[in-house]
Amino acid sequence: MKENILIIGGGAAGMEAATQLQKMGLTPIIVEKSEQLGGHVAQWDRLFPAFHPAKDVVEKMLNQVKDVKTYLNTEVTDIQRDDNGFHATLSNNEKIDAKAVILATGFDIFKAERKQEYGYGIYNNVMTSVELEKFFRTGHDARINNPKKIGFVHCVGARDVKVCNTYCSKVCCTTALKQACEIKEVFPDAEVYTFYMDLRMFGPGYEDLYLKTQKDFDVKCVRGRVCEVSEDMDGKLVIKAEDTLFGKPLKMTLDVLVLMCAMEKNKSIDAIQQKLGVANNTDGFMQNQDMYLGMNTTAQDGVFVAGACTAPKSLPDTIGEARSVATQVFNYINNK
Amino acid sequence: MNSQIIFHPFVLPFVLGMAFVLTYCVVGLIRVIAQLPKDDRKKFWRSLVTPKTAWANIRDLFGDCLFHVKIWKRNPVLGYMHSAIAFGWFMIIVIGHIMLFTLKPLQGVEVEGMARTFTNFYYPIFYKFFATETPVFAFLMDFFLLMIISGILIAVVKKIHSKIVGVKRVTKFGFADNMIRFALWTIFPFRLIAEKTNIMAFWWLYSIDLLIFMCMLPFTRYMHIPTEALFILLRHAGIKPSDPRKGYALAQIYSCPSCGLCIDACPMSVNDKNSGNTSAYFMKKLRNGDKEEAQRIAETCMQCGKCVEVCPVSIESCDIKMSQRAAVPYEIHSDHSYLDVISTEAEKSSKVLYFAGCMTQLTPKIMRAMKKIMTAAGEEYQFLDENGGICCGRPMLLSGKTAEAQAMIEKNTELIKQSGTTKLVLSCPICYKVFKEEYHLEGIEIQHHTQYIDELVKSGKLKVNKNDVNYVYHDPCELGRAFGVYDEPREVLENVGNLCKAKSEKELSICCGGSLGSFNLTQKERDEITENSVNDLMFNNPDEIVTACPLCLKTFARKSPVKVKDIAEVVESQIIN
Ligand SMILES: Cc1cc2nc3c(=O)[nH]c(=O)nc-3n(C[C@H](O)[C@H](O)[C@H](O)COP(=O)(O)OP(=O)(O)OC[C@H]3O[C@@H](n4cnc5c(N)ncnc54)[C@H](O)[C@@H]3O)c2cc1C
Ligand code: SF4
Repeated sequence: MKENILIIGGGAAGMEAATQLQKMGLTPIIVEKSEQLGGHVAQWDRLFPAFHPAKDVVEKMLNQVKDVKTYLNTEVTDIQRDDNGFHATLSNNEKIDAKAVILATGFDIFKAERKQEYGYGIYNNVMTSVELEKFFRTGHDARINNPKKIGFVHCVGARDVKVCNTYCSKVCCTTALKQACEIKEVFPDAEVYTFYMDLRMFGPGYEDLYLKTQKDFDVKCVRGRVCEVSEDMDGKLVIKAEDTLFGKPLKMTLDVLVLMCAMEKNKSIDAIQQKLGVANNTDGFMQNQDMYLGMNTTAQDGVFVAGACTAPKSLPDTIGEARSVATQVFNYINNK
Repeated sequence: MNSQIIFHPFVLPFVLGMAFVLTYCVVGLIRVIAQLPKDDRKKFWRSLVTPKTAWANIRDLFGDCLFHVKIWKRNPVLGYMHSAIAFGWFMIIVIGHIMLFTLKPLQGVEVEGMARTFTNFYYPIFYKFFATETPVFAFLMDFFLLMIISGILIAVVKKIHSKIVGVKRVTKFGFADNMIRFALWTIFPFRLIAEKTNIMAFWWLYSIDLLIFMCMLPFTRYMHIPTEALFILLRHAGIKPSDPRKGYALAQIYSCPSCGLCIDACPMSVNDKNSGNTSAYFMKKLRNGDKEEAQRIAETCMQCGKCVEVCPVSIESCDIKMSQRAAVPYEIHSDHSYLDVISTEAEKSSKVLYFAGCMTQLTPKIMRAMKKIMTAAGEEYQFLDENGGICCGRPMLLSGKTAEAQAMIEKNTELIKQSGTTKLVLSCPICYKVFKEEYHLEGIEIQHHTQYIDELVKSGKLKVNKNDVNYVYHDPCELGRAFGVYDEPREVLENVGNLCKAKSEKELSICCGGSLGSFNLTQKERDEITENSVNDLMFNNPDEIVTACPLCLKTFARKSPVKVKDIAEVVESQIIN
């Protein structure tokens, strides 16, 4: 039983699914768009809630898939299906036959420019959480110049009807607090503020992280949305927000503002998804069969989904889904 | 004196119908005029004797009611159809009456006094039965009769297959409307047959058809024929609808012929399901007294004004929808006590006063561009709402809350007047509309930044480069259709790059879908409108979409395949220092 299983996307979900399928005796094939495996996790420095190095996790996963047939810098350009299964054409013109397809194309980061009132791309010192993560990895960012006051804005591009994303992006609250602690580690004298709607500390150890943020790092968490950002004569950022606990409007000058950008559906897969007949849900992510028992299956027999392509997910969520999708595919192949 | 009358029983249906419709119209006329607010009524009487409006009345009565100039311009086939029927019918009546007076003794019989008056009533309608006319008249009468019939033929074709005459969607009618249409279509063919064959049955059919037509007229869309004349007079008097069902609005409701031209024009119609929200149906609901539906449509409308632009009768449906909204007390609890404590930081000077407005505050790129432009042009300016300002009042006006809006308008007026400025520059077309229409800022010129930048470039104060980017310009509804600001932005863009055309431009530009006007369009429905509008703009494959409204900017940015910019940003990037 050496059936080919095509996995589109080599992030955490794709890699973990491949590892498990290989152990089950199937032949996973990963098609990855970028030049390396690892997906977004490979861009992070340390992971919440335990500040564990992301590199460590990614390296372990890479080691597990070293024997898996992998195409890098490659996309699926066409896919057909007949009684024998799926027939995919790749951007390097190679053709792959497979019995089942797993979509593991993950997410994209909300384009912060779309929320113009936060000034990203307009004012120099507004940056995104992804860029801050890079700063932690590389120790360098021209915007971070011994800052005295730093702010984090939650829910950028999430829970916001005005940008048409009404869902919660799930991990950005925890990420914001993690990054708040980390920036305090680098600049202990800086004042750090986070502006949240409500703090969604959903996992084990996450609430502890919140307490630690306040007790050990003296980060000030303000409940209220930032409404506008502008720049003063010295290039400092002036933000306006409302402290909804005190019921007072608030104005503050900051050196750096970090936008916690939401996860959005990765649209680069739309054309293939359409050919396969997999629809999107109301949040724009891929539609799985149902939220309880069918989270890895789709309306199309033989087409599976895993990871952040169906909704915002944390890394443990993603790994869990990847393992579960492997089981689903295994059963599907055996019952055929 | 001979009191004999010329008569045949088949004239009776016509006489009955005519008496009915005349009575109905006279009563209706009195009702409309009585319902007008006192000031409007005065305006109306005055307009009738003011030479300027009187001339406009005559021009439009002929141009619109008889020749249908506006329909001709948009669609010549439909133009011909309407004017053939209307003008042909009018001429038949006129020539009929001329004949009546030239042929003094009718059939050699001297008919006078009451008898003559009674005979005059129907004689021209059935004259062929009673008299043999002179060849010239005979020719003219036949000519116009055939003209009407040719118009009716087109109407029949349009009914069977509307696309042949270039109409995608037509209004769906109920039984009464279909029935009267059938009567109208058959009146003239019956008359022709009756005149040519003199078969008694056809004279009866002709007369009965007229009876049906005239008795049903007040209850169907054909009421637009007599009402439109009154509407034209009221419109020229400069009246605005104050109640969605009374007075001026009533005249408009009955003037709407349900032609359905607004159905294709309305941006909501991209989704067939929503074409029922268009003005043609709104007027129908009002007429039928269906308040709930009328209210729903009034609240769904985006107020983009395109239906008003294409309407051959110039029905002011947007204004009527606004008065419909005002008729319902929305539960909005607003507290404007803060207005009392606000004062201006602006010093007293005649510098240009820039007011960004709330939407522009959320698009800081526009503000930054405006500051750079004004500085580069060496303009001295003050920024009225740099640290926050008061809303122009439009959202409150859109929900029919005039008093609340007025509170803000008064405060803003006070602040602006205090500044001593002579020129107010705005970045938001929504503000522009309100400042132009609702504010009394005598002695202060109000400009949108498109006009202001155009002036700066033309006067040589602002020097700009021309690059070879292809721009397409989107006309924001509140700047274009509302105020005809079409040329200034285009001239500015031609100075900084290449201007290419959208598929629908200027008056016909399609709303971005983000309008504040609608209360209940879903995001999905708005997205469909936006996508349609973007496709229209992308017609000539421009490199960038340029608009002049912060709301259009935000709306398009989500759906556009190319960069979307405000005109100020484009100009800013081309300034020569
Ligand atoms: C700022 C930030 C910080 C985070 N920090 C943490 C944390 O500390 N702890 C935690 O548990 N979670 C964290 N997360 C969540 C974590 O990143 C996700 O759970 C995880 O990345 C999801 O993995 P995935 O494989 O589903 O998607 P992705 O990581 O997005 O991987 C998708 C892969 O598919 C590839 N791909 C996409 N489209 C195509 C295509 N058309 N063809 C071929 N390949 C394609 C991509 O290149 C990518 O390699 C964070 C998220 C964000 C945004
Ligand atoms: S996780 Fe927190 S920051 Fe992210 S969208 Fe949800 S509530 Fe907002």
